[in-house]
Amino acid sequence: MSGNPALDEMQRWSAEVARDPSAPAFLPLARAYRRQGQLDAAMRVCTRALERHPTHIEGHALLAGLYLESGDRERACDEWSTVLRLDPGNFDAHRGMGFAALERADLGTAQWHLEQAAAARPMDPAVREALAWLRERLPRESAVPAPGAAAVRDPSRLFEFLLEDPVFLGALVVDARGLVLAGTLAHGDGERVEALGAVLGEAVEEAVRTVEHLALGAWSGFLLETDAAVLHIAPLSPELFVLVAARRDAPAGWIRRTAVRAAERARDFIEGAP
Amino acid sequence: MSDSFERTLEGLTRVAGVRAALVVDADAGVPVAAEVAADVAAPALAALSASAFRRSRRAAESASFGAVETLQLEAESGHVIVAAAADVLVVVVAEPDAQLGRIRLEARRTADGLR
Repeated sequence: MSGNPALDEMQRWSAEVARDPSAPAFLPLARAYRRQGQLDAAMRVCTRALERHPTHIEGHALLAGLYLESGDRERACDEWSTVLRLDPGNFDAHRGMGFAALERADLGTAQWHLEQAAAARPMDPAVREALAWLRERLPRESAVPAPGAAAVRDPSRLFEFLLEDPVFLGALVVDARGLVLAGTLAHGDGERVEALGAVLGEAVEEAVRTVEHLALGAWSGFLLETDAAVLHIAPLSPELFVLVAARRDAPAGWIRRTAVRAAERARDFIEGAP
Repeated sequence: MSDSFERTLEGLTRVAGVRAALVVDADAGVPVAAEVAADVAAPALAALSASAFRRSRRAAESASFGAVETLQLEAESGHVIVAAAADVLVVVVAEPDAQLGRIRLEARRTADGLR
């Protein structure tokens, strides 16, 4: 014991996080580092915890704030996107994304996010001021709709044909915000499916960035083999992709061929064909 | 250490259609050893592929699909294969018409040899 209660508390959190990086103490510890101006240490604590708890909303929100303070607006936006996938009405994330869009002069997106933030906290002075400024410059009808908002239906049976083959676990259509639009998986409950959709978008984004960096042209697929399953992800459009999941022992070539059929079915569905 | 990794990569780079083969620190996203064509920037490839791998791992874990063993990015002009081995990754960039099955197998074997 140091005799300094704040220091003692921090040492206790550090010990808990050292034993288990995902212990709940990671949040107060990261906040304490942040208050001390140790942003790198705070980011490290958050990142390690989020590897174990990828759907921890407060952790992602805190990490977004840390990135913002360190001047990395792009990563801050990545984290806020994750927060919105997990909690679509999150005030801090909409506010952060709104102001980031304002800075890059993307006024439509800024307006949309700030309106969502205002819906959550109508009296926030910074949001109100920014919205008033935006409304003077943007006619109401030009505001952008929520990405993916038009595609909400109840299409859980879209890929039932896949389940006739016992190697397949199902398929999903997921939008760029990580929201599941269609399909289902035999593996796992609904919450897990939603969580998969939420974090899969980030993985795809990073994969596409890798392909672009190597100048390999347009991406056509992304095959992920885990010790329990094989997942194939293919683009339907810049905003949508389709995921096919199969048992681990399914042949990769068969999965790729089936993914093409699933993509055709999904495309018909999205375009409203019978 | 790096020399032995480089020797391990030699087998991979002998496979037809392989443009680059790297061993990458999975957490830091930096190359530990690299055998790459002149037009491939190893540090950027290492950073991006490690990041894609980490995010894929999060996605798989969140849905209880278990640990990610291999990921493969398919594109018009080539493929990127990432095979996990404890705390390092084996990353391979291949031509579009390369024998993917053979390369996947070699990448997996190389990764298993590094465990």
